[in-house]
Amino acid sequence: MIGFFAKRLAYLVFTMLVVSFIIYTISEFTPGDVARKILGPFATKNQVELLTEEMGLNRPVFIRYFEWVGQTLSGDLGYSTRYKTEVNNIIWGRLYNTMILASIAFAIIVPASILFGIVAGMAEASKLDRTISVASIVTTSVPEFASGVFLSWIFVIWLGILPGTSTLDTGAGWSIASQLVLPVAVMVLYDLGYVIRMVRASMVEVMMRPYIRTAVLKGLRFREVILKHAVRNAMIAPFTVILLQINYLVTGVVVVEAVFAYPGFGRMMLEGALSQDIAIIEAGALFAVLIAVVTQIVGDFGYMLLNPRIRFS
Amino acid sequence: MSEDIKKIHPYLPTLVNQLRAGKVDRREFLRTSTLLGLSATAAYTLAGCDEKQEEQQSSTTEEAPAATTTTTETQQAAAPTDNVIRIGMRVPALEDPATFSWVYDSNVTRQVCDYLTRTGVDNVTRPWLLEKWEASPDLKTWTLTLKKGIKWSNGDELVADHAIWNLTRWLDEKVGSSVVGLMKGYMLTEYDTGQKDDAGNPKMGTKLWADNAIEKVDDYTIRLNCKEAQLAVPEHLFHYPALILHPSENGKFGVNAIGTGAFTLTELEVGKKAVLKKRDGYWGKAPAVDSIEFIDLGDDPAASVSALASKQIQGLYEASVSQFAALQKMDHITIYQVSTGQTAVARMQPIHDTWKDPRVRKAMRLAIDSEKVLQAAHLGLGSPGEHHHVCPIHPEYAKLDFMKQDIEGAKKLLADAGMPNGFETEIFCKKDPDWEPQAVQVMAEMWKQIGVNVKINVLPSDQYWEIWNVETAPFAFTTWTHRPLGVMVLGLAYRTGVPWNESFYSNPKFDETLTRAEGILDVEERRKVMVELEQIMQEDGPIVQPLWRAVFTGMDKRIQGFQIHPTYYLFCEEWSLTA
Repeated sequence: MIGFFAKRLAYLVFTMLVVSFIIYTISEFTPGDVARKILGPFATKNQVELLTEEMGLNRPVFIRYFEWVGQTLSGDLGYSTRYKTEVNNIIWGRLYNTMILASIAFAIIVPASILFGIVAGMAEASKLDRTISVASIVTTSVPEFASGVFLSWIFVIWLGILPGTSTLDTGAGWSIASQLVLPVAVMVLYDLGYVIRMVRASMVEVMMRPYIRTAVLKGLRFREVILKHAVRNAMIAPFTVILLQINYLVTGVVVVEAVFAYPGFGRMMLEGALSQDIAIIEAGALFAVLIAVVTQIVGDFGYMLLNPRIRFS
Repeated sequence: MSEDIKKIHPYLPTLVNQLRAGKVDRREFLRTSTLLGLSATAAYTLAGCDEKQEEQQSSTTEEAPAATTTTTETQQAAAPTDNVIRIGMRVPALEDPATFSWVYDSNVTRQVCDYLTRTGVDNVTRPWLLEKWEASPDLKTWTLTLKKGIKWSNGDELVADHAIWNLTRWLDEKVGSSVVGLMKGYMLTEYDTGQKDDAGNPKMGTKLWADNAIEKVDDYTIRLNCKEAQLAVPEHLFHYPALILHPSENGKFGVNAIGTGAFTLTELEVGKKAVLKKRDGYWGKAPAVDSIEFIDLGDDPAASVSALASKQIQGLYEASVSQFAALQKMDHITIYQVSTGQTAVARMQPIHDTWKDPRVRKAMRLAIDSEKVLQAAHLGLGSPGEHHHVCPIHPEYAKLDFMKQDIEGAKKLLADAGMPNGFETEIFCKKDPDWEPQAVQVMAEMWKQIGVNVKINVLPSDQYWEIWNVETAPFAFTTWTHRPLGVMVLGLAYRTGVPWNESFYSNPKFDETLTRAEGILDVEERRKVMVELEQIMQEDGPIVQPLWRAVFTGMDKRIQGFQIHPTYYLFCEEWSLTA
């Protein structure tokens, strides 16, 4: 098991290095001038050149990259040209905000998807199965920006019972909880259907297995067949899928955060990218890779625990 | 009276006579006389109108608020318990106001620090931290006198040294202020730094053109000795980065920064919010609201509309065309609108073969139906462009015959230029705000009618501003903000070799005529020269100008005293909130 984790850790470090280098290189060749972005369009060419020199941006990309790696290893994530402060002063708060959103959404998505997936998969092609399947496809097919606007129209403009944005500012009288309802709803609607479909497919497959038929024929109650034999086996494949949703919920909710003006990680990354803020982009990418690889490792580990036929190797 | 005002500037008595003879209208008189140093109050008295009323009329509302002015006492009596106004606006880093790139950057700092002058919504510039200014007859020497007794929030008195420190800093190219672009022509000179660029050419720097370019006369008086005549010095002092900071803070701005303004910045979280609290000891009229909060709602127009609908904010810094219909449907919102000199031009760079021939450039103009572009892209809010970048609200605007769409005429010009079958080209434009790509799309359809197929390359705003004034973008659609005078815009955008000449247009006759116009104080006389300039622009110029924008925003009806400024500047100390 130690070997397993050591290998995965090495894989994690290697991935982060490769990704960080690729991003650094890509940003080097992205059209645009960082100094021009800082000074604005109306600064003269001389002014832009002076700032470029002052910031050391005219040095070779390799030197700047290795300098950045050294700083990062010592815990210094660099200086954000967009936010005009240390990245450490920005990223943790933004990650925390997104984690709140992600945790609530995850806490709803997991039990709801398992419940609906199992119920649909238990009786394939029944009315209930079809209803759940169609609803899942519809919600997953509607893009987040569309469901965001649609829900806002109903609950903000028409009914007036929820705030239209989630700035996490309570000054206008809307509680933080009320501000989280719509973004969480959009994330759940978008992601729930996909996980339900996965659980359902796995459940359908398990329900057709000989051991389920045997259990039914030996006279076990249907409830016991489902809970004791079907569910555990049906959850092996969706387990990995569910864990991978953490990835989306933490690093992939850019649209939701933009639609609801939520000060989270996704919006920070979007603004960093638009401003060519290399420190923000690099730091954000490292966290995104970290989350992706860690969830993958946890997924592999959990998969092995659930399925004894797979061994640590 | 005549002798008195002659002391202020020798041209003023002539201007008064012109007003009385009906040769200049009241608005033109106010603008020019205040520019020449006459106090706004005196100018309004001479013009026989009420200053406050005139200013309010300049900013119109779709539905007039119940009461736009009340006394501070009445406002405070009617103020709600939560006497806070929240405005939706981007909250950027505010570290160094001298380097601000956008108006919204300055809107937070503007509540804490002041300008030397203020251009009102009526397009008239008045002294603000200044008591008065005086211009020499040749417009090369400007004497600026500070108001006495203005206290900074730390108790210091505002003196000439403070203003000089700021002026000098803005003009130091190492600081990176866009004030350099405005004042370079008359305050700075280029020098060889002794270094070479990659191509081996000498690297040039800029410095004050003379040691006494900025001169301290006494503790309250500064003299600007300019290299060239300049009519618009007071307007330039109202450029958004030209905020007067306390020298002890070395140009840095942040929470609890020292200022002369009505508010103190108490909280700043970039990308989230900025909170300003009313401060004691403000030298002007005390604000009626306790606090102003700017809430960052990002760039998604839907987020701002939702926030207004749920009353999380009471107003928007600016509204876009896509938000207009939604704002109209909100009962608690008043839409404020003002005609401006804001526009966008499809500029062609004659340094490239495609745009070298003036007949081709004129054909591109003749292909455009400006009225239709205005309707399709900007809901008809504004007025059609006339392809010369002088706006009907500019005092020296000269009305020419309207340049109507003429497809046959345009085709003939192309044929004469050796392109009877038209050509293919590419135009760059910004993605935001949405009316810009829409206007380009509409124009591209019109250009098709003369055989010119234009591929549209829509860039994110940040990327667009990288290429707006470079030679690698021969054809591009650029927005230009409001400037109070027509000659200001032409001088900034089309004079040979100036930093913001994005089209690299160079026409000695245009330059000579423009210089002549800039030296004429008499608006009527200047207008005659403007006819020539506008004609040059229409016949030879490098732009297609489809529209003039009316800008607008939405504010809660509870907000009193708000007037929309043509450049979206916010002056929150004038506002109050009813219960």
